[in-house]
Amino acid sequence: MKKPSILLVDDEVAFANNLLKLMSKRGYDVVVVYNGADAVNMVGEKEFDVIILDMKMPGMDGIATLKEIKKKAPLVEVVILTGHGSVESGIEGMQLGAFDFLMKPVSIDDLQEKVSEAYQRKLIQRESG
Amino acid sequence: MEPEQEVGVSIKQPHPEKKGKERYSKLFRKFIFLTLICSLVPLFLVGWGIYAYYSGFSKIRIMDHFKNQVEHHREIIELFLRERTSDLQLVILTHSSDSLQNPGNLKRIFSIMNQGSSFFTDLGLIDDEGNHLAYIGPYALMDKNYSQTFWFKEVMKKGIYISDMFMGFRNAPHFIIAVTRIEGNRKWILRASIDTEYFRSLVENVKIGATGEVYLSNQEGILQTTPRFSGKIMEKAQLPAEFFSEESSIGIYEADNNDPNRRFPRQLVAYTWLESPRWKLVVKQDYAEAFRDANQANRAALIFLHFSLLIIFVISVISTRYMIKIIKNQDEETDLLNKQLVQAGKLASLGELSAGVAHEINNPLAIILTESQVMRDTIEEAPSLNDEVKTELIASLSQTESQVHRCSLITQNLLKFSRRNKSQRETVNLNAFLEEVIRFMDGKARGAGIRFALDLEKDIPSFRSDPSLLQQVFINLINNAVDAHEGKPYGTINIGTRTDSQRHGVEITVGDTGSGISPENMEKIFDPFFTTKTVGKGTGLGLSITYSTIKGLGGDISVRSTIGKGTQFNIFLPFSPPGNAQENREEVITPPRSSI
Repeated sequence: MKKPSILLVDDEVAFANNLLKLMSKRGYDVVVVYNGADAVNMVGEKEFDVIILDMKMPGMDGIATLKEIKKKAPLVEVVILTGHGSVESGIEGMQLGAFDFLMKPVSIDDLQEKVSEAYQRKLIQRESG
Repeated sequence: MEPEQEVGVSIKQPHPEKKGKERYSKLFRKFIFLTLICSLVPLFLVGWGIYAYYSGFSKIRIMDHFKNQVEHHREIIELFLRERTSDLQLVILTHSSDSLQNPGNLKRIFSIMNQGSSFFTDLGLIDDEGNHLAYIGPYALMDKNYSQTFWFKEVMKKGIYISDMFMGFRNAPHFIIAVTRIEGNRKWILRASIDTEYFRSLVENVKIGATGEVYLSNQEGILQTTPRFSGKIMEKAQLPAEFFSEESSIGIYEADNNDPNRRFPRQLVAYTWLESPRWKLVVKQDYAEAFRDANQANRAALIFLHFSLLIIFVISVISTRYMIKIIKNQDEETDLLNKQLVQAGKLASLGELSAGVAHEINNPLAIILTESQVMRDTIEEAPSLNDEVKTELIASLSQTESQVHRCSLITQNLLKFSRRNKSQRETVNLNAFLEEVIRFMDGKARGAGIRFALDLEKDIPSFRSDPSLLQQVFINLINNAVDAHEGKPYGTINIGTRTDSQRHGVEITVGDTGSGISPENMEKIFDPFFTTKTVGKGTGLGLSITYSTIKGLGGDISVRSTIGKGTQFNIFLPFSPPGNAQENREEVITPPRSSI
């Protein structure tokens, strides 16, 4: 099965780069950006299957970024990743159209699983839509 | 006996009992003092003022009355003497000497004069040389010559004369009234003796009680009547002699201790002078008797006053005690509230801190975990490493990841400790709910040799609460109870419920037969991160979360513990939790191992 293309948005450079390495190694097409504004721009330039989005970022935070992304690419699935771990922000994100949320620290296996679920849903939606 | 401590609601500081008692005793004394000053002093002043005023007033009234009585009585005596003098004058003016010398006439006149009462003892007609011309009376006085007697000289000089008491030829105390008439060139005298006993009864006819006496004395101080108690007629009177005065007088007579006739140590004495003869009318009464009614009234007033003072004192003591009790209760409530506020403040600030710390730690943890996973990938793909080295490195990485997860669990607990969510209210059947929790924990307890003993009151009404929160509370407490038996081969966890109709709620007890809590730890058990468990076994958040949950549900939690015997938590949950408690709550999850 084709691996989904992923946009990874996180201001923690080390974490983002590690995930880039791990996901790339597992066959994903991963693009990394380090803030919300770049993520929105990137969504405008390229189509992604799943976006992994950090909640707490300087400047445009995760919620604002999510809103803008959903405006530009309503079908893209977003998995929220947060170090804050608050259920409220996760729920808020899901109400804005995010697929699900995960709390840091997250293992690559859990992330992979969640990304797969998100991608599956996107595929189903695309087929039904 | 092992020390037993009780912690109410959350943290009950050891109350500075002695200091508190002293403070309330001091407050009590101050209140009593002020109350008594404010109530007793005015009452005392008014009471004693009225008492003093009316004592003086009644004394003056009694003395005035006494004095008026004496003056009135003087008028009666004077009227009597004037009437008797008039009787003689009428006779002497309407009859000639010759007519009166007729014994039959004189006798008839004498009997007419005594018709009303026996005023006169005798009646005699005497010529200007002092010889009796005629005489009617019980004494043999016809042959007596009075020319040298004092009264004869006085009446010859003045025309009318009333004598003092004297013995005379009859040798018995009496006094006479004599009048003269000049007939032709001869002067003659009509003389009558007044009946001494009749006169005495007249003089004494005053209402002066059991101790009163009335008498007459002349200017030389010689008694003219026999007083009731002090002396006899013709003797020296008790009061000193003095000359005639037109003024009446009244005063207090203090008897001389050496006076043989001293019967009454203190007497009220009033006297007034008769104009003719110049006799002093003296009325005496024992002071105590004279003022008895007034004194009784005053005594009654004083008794009433002192009784009122006593009543006020008693009421002041009772009301002050009641006030102190109210103040004490309020102080205790305030104290408790302050402690709760401190505890709530601690938890709130800790919540904020926890959220920040958790977030800041989560990111590095995420990096460590991903770094570890990158390394794991790298190691697995490295062809130059032999299997043994690979296994060792992978094991190290697994350990690293395991510790990251452990840290992650702690930070998640911290975050959940600090977060607030919407409450999930449901109807809770407490007994069934507890039984379910116990079933859940039974395996762990059995493994530690511990059994559950239930004492659940039947028919406890169901109430609205948050079952997920309650579940965490009881799991925390049971976990702690199981852990408290460490080192003991077996034990019991007692769980009981009973309705508290007074507070409209339910009381739940969770007790164990474990090692108990030491007094120094008792103060800290609800503090976050306080734990007595070994490192890695407890986060120290279990009882903090339990506390904040119970408080959030509008309830109460207290703990009692005896070292070596066990610990008992008492939880109160209201049937109707406050709105805030319903709407907002601490979201609580069970730590991997609860504190304590």
